Amino acid sequence: MLLQLNNIYKWVNSGGQRIFLLKDINLEVEQGEFISVMGPSGSGKSTLLNVIGMLDSFDEGEYHFLEESVHTLKEKHRAQMYKEYIGFVFQSYHLLDDLTVQENLEMPLLYKKYKSPERKAMVADMLDRFNIVGKKDLFPVQLSGGQQQLVGVARALISNPKLLLADEPTGNLNSKQSEEIMELFKQLNNEGVTIIQVTHSESNAAYGSRIINLLDGRRV
Amino acid sequence: MLKNHIKIAWRSLRKQPFFTFLNTFGLAIGIAGALLISLYIYDELSYDKMFADADRIHRVNADIKLGGEDRKFAVTPAPIAETIDNDFSEVELTTRFRTRGSALVRKVDTEVNIKEQQATYVDSTFFEMFGIDLLVGDLKTALKLPNTLVLTKTAAEKHFGINEALGQNLLLNNEETYTVTGVIDDLPDNSFLREHTVFMAMAGYEDSRIVNWGSNNYQTYIKLIPSANIEDLQAPLRAFLGKYVIPGVQQFMPGITEEQFKAAGNHLIYSTIPLTDIHLNSDRVAEISANNDIQSIYILSFIAVFIIVLACVNFMNLSTAHSLKRAKEVGIRKTLGSNKGELIRQFLVESVLVSFGSLLLALIFAVIALPFFNELADKDISMPYTNPLFWLILLASASVLGLLSGSYPAFFMSKFIPVKVLKGDSGSLGGSNVRNALVIFQFAISVFLVISTLVVYQQLEYIQNKDLGFSKDQVLIVDDVYTIGGQVASFKEEVKKLGFVINATLSSFFPTPSSRSDSVFAPLEGATDQENAVSMQRWGVDYDYISTMDFKIIAGRDFDKKFKNDSTSIIVNESAVAVMGVTPEKALGLSYTPDMESENPKYYKIIGVVKDFHFSPFRDEIESLSMHLGDFAYSLAIKLEKGSFTNAIKSIEGIWNKVAPGQPFDYYFMEDSFNNTYKSEQRLGHIFIIFTILSILIACLGLFGLAAFNAQKRTKEIGIRKVMGASVSQITYRLSSDFLKLVLVAILISLPIGWFAMNKWLEDFSYRIEIGWWVFALATLLAVAIAILTVSYQSIKAAIANPVKSLRTE
Repeated sequence: MLLQLNNIYKWVNSGGQRIFLLKDINLEVEQGEFISVMGPSGSGKSTLLNVIGMLDSFDEGEYHFLEESVHTLKEKHRAQMYKEYIGFVFQSYHLLDDLTVQENLEMPLLYKKYKSPERKAMVADMLDRFNIVGKKDLFPVQLSGGQQQLVGVARALISNPKLLLADEPTGNLNSKQSEEIMELFKQLNNEGVTIIQVTHSESNAAYGSRIINLLDGRRV
Repeated sequence: MLKNHIKIAWRSLRKQPFFTFLNTFGLAIGIAGALLISLYIYDELSYDKMFADADRIHRVNADIKLGGEDRKFAVTPAPIAETIDNDFSEVELTTRFRTRGSALVRKVDTEVNIKEQQATYVDSTFFEMFGIDLLVGDLKTALKLPNTLVLTKTAAEKHFGINEALGQNLLLNNEETYTVTGVIDDLPDNSFLREHTVFMAMAGYEDSRIVNWGSNNYQTYIKLIPSANIEDLQAPLRAFLGKYVIPGVQQFMPGITEEQFKAAGNHLIYSTIPLTDIHLNSDRVAEISANNDIQSIYILSFIAVFIIVLACVNFMNLSTAHSLKRAKEVGIRKTLGSNKGELIRQFLVESVLVSFGSLLLALIFAVIALPFFNELADKDISMPYTNPLFWLILLASASVLGLLSGSYPAFFMSKFIPVKVLKGDSGSLGGSNVRNALVIFQFAISVFLVISTLVVYQQLEYIQNKDLGFSKDQVLIVDDVYTIGGQVASFKEEVKKLGFVINATLSSFFPTPSSRSDSVFAPLEGATDQENAVSMQRWGVDYDYISTMDFKIIAGRDFDKKFKNDSTSIIVNESAVAVMGVTPEKALGLSYTPDMESENPKYYKIIGVVKDFHFSPFRDEIESLSMHLGDFAYSLAIKLEKGSFTNAIKSIEGIWNKVAPGQPFDYYFMEDSFNNTYKSEQRLGHIFIIFTILSILIACLGLFGLAAFNAQKRTKEIGIRKVMGASVSQITYRLSSDFLKLVLVAILISLPIGWFAMNKWLEDFSYRIEIGWWVFALATLLAVAIAILTVSYQSIKAAIANPVKSLRTE
């Protein structure tokens, strides 16, 4: 098992009232799964993804990741864990505008203490694998949305994460571009990467092996 | 519309209390600093302007080069006033002052003397010249007759009520009787006569009527008729040399001609200086009161401008940075049809509001700081609350300041493109080059001020610790010992018997500010050749002088009672020997005379040479000096053992009261007097420190605000980097290093400027420090450390923020 969520609650206090963002979420994810999280706006999809990605905390419940109890881990170890095992893909790509494609890919490696020749090799590898060698010196603004997301995915995968989290990865793309990204996800999943994606689109969800539906922070 | 603007401005200021505080506080500090300096400068510039017709009053100066020495006098010969009166139809009036320093004053039938610091003989035209009214007395007769005097109100009230002052008889220095013929109001603190309280009729001063062009002892003031031009007087005044001076001195130096005089490299130039320029532009021998230096006014003006500019720059920086938060507002306003001008007005209203708030705060700061500033600057400045012009200027400058510093942010913000800012695209907001330049500018100024402060302090330290060639520590000087007349020697012996007294000496002349007297000495051989003449200080001392002062004798011997003819011996200093052109050993035995004009000149034989010691400020080279055994002394200098001085002073005062009952016991420590000489430098040092701290504070406020802005602008980038695994320290470093680069650029700019400017300043000192590399290293270190401290708070805050929030897409 890759990760397990037991009775996860997350809330905010607003005007003396407790508003639940996540309510009693239980979830088990095996290695190699491709899960789609669906639900209307404000149902807690992104929050759930952030909790899984260890970017956000929760108020109650247990979270086990690769036999480690995330809820008892110190901030530092948590950061260590997601650095090592989790890659993120965002709806608006979140590439750094001032860096070229190549530099954007290299950036996560800088924070993982790889030596320069190693980094070069891994970046070249990724560029090759995603067929973007010709674009390595371009800046994000010079790319189409689909290409930018391609770089975003490549960046998420560059340090071989066990889990890829994608928050509406095709939300800003047209149908042809989204299809390409989904095909890519499918292929990555086949190669053994575990994927959890948040999506609004039924057709995108269909690429996954399992669908989780959320409504008002609760699984339905 | 304006009301609406003000309402909106007020709200948006209140919504951002932190930024509003930074802005107001920074600007307030700047305004308060500039305000204090302006009041100081205003006071300095106001000197002597209160006299009626001050613009028509001038003083006659004399530049004299004689015997190889060039001196600039504020005093002129006694007959020059009358001569000017006769020769120039443009001159309406002349007045002479002959200062005589302090005077002991008592009513004829009383015992106790009261010391007045400054008494002077003055011509009876004094009142008309300066437009001074008598509180009591008759302008027509006051000061007309010999042995009459006029007192200031304060001086008079020490002895009798003003109304009974007329006709009272006063005894000066226990021997001269004067009749009071008038009382005048106290003279203003910002006038050249501020220390003078006793004015005696010149009519009673014999010397003033003797036609002697050879000695310069009279401050001479002239008043022009309204239509006259002072320039027309200069050439005729210079011609006085051939017309009056040379014929005048021919009785002492038969056959001397103007050509001869000039050919020997000598000159004598009479010129004038406007009364109102004297305080800041005159530094001559025998000034009537201590003057200031226009240079220090320039430096202060610079600092005031610096501070205000720094504060404005800060304001601009913070406002543009802050504008990021307002971008959305601008976008919405523009979409709703507001035009650029409208927006600019809105933002200007806001900045003027802030500058008025700052003005209020600044006034509070200034009022609180004023007493300390007064102490620092040695002034008695008060806020001119009742002066409408003061308020007008303040309000006007606050408005201008608000508009000026609000203009850039206003134009900057009004240019935002609505579609972009509404999408939250903050990367395209730009203006960062301008902001960076402003930060560099601020820090360059701060680093420059740090360097200046370090150098000024180092120089002061150097002066304080330099080997002076004499020992100024533990020397107590008792003034006015001449008043006990014949008993002075026994007073000295009594004092010397005290256990804690190491030595004591009678003299009027000390290495610290005291009497000075110089003469031209002519050698026994080759006396007729003017080139052989040596201009030397001529100090009368006693047998204990050199040992008390701790001078080092490098050749020959000290005065000694064993030698019968030491009354015709002199001891000179190294500089004098150098001017004579011989070695100290060769100088021994040479004879010189200070009065070769007399028929039977008295020659002095050199018996000793002392190592040079500093008897004038370090700004000046050490002059030639000679000491002879004198029989008159103003003061007794007492060298004490280390320890508590209070008991020592009490014991000495006890002896004094026995030998001189009724005479005030007036004393000072040589070290204090020495330190007073460097007061203006010390003042400059203190002012530098204070305003350096202020400017650094302002620069830090700016940097702090900017760091906040930068962190804000880069939230997205920080978020992405964190998600990609960057640690807090990596991000903090990243954010801070950008600012450090700016600070380093600032340092690179200011180091050479600081080096150049401070070397210029040091040039004024004949004895000065070399600027060490560590000054620059320290300034650099300080600037970097302060910048890191300022920036890191914001950087760390940004780095530990949760990236989820910053990466949330709308």
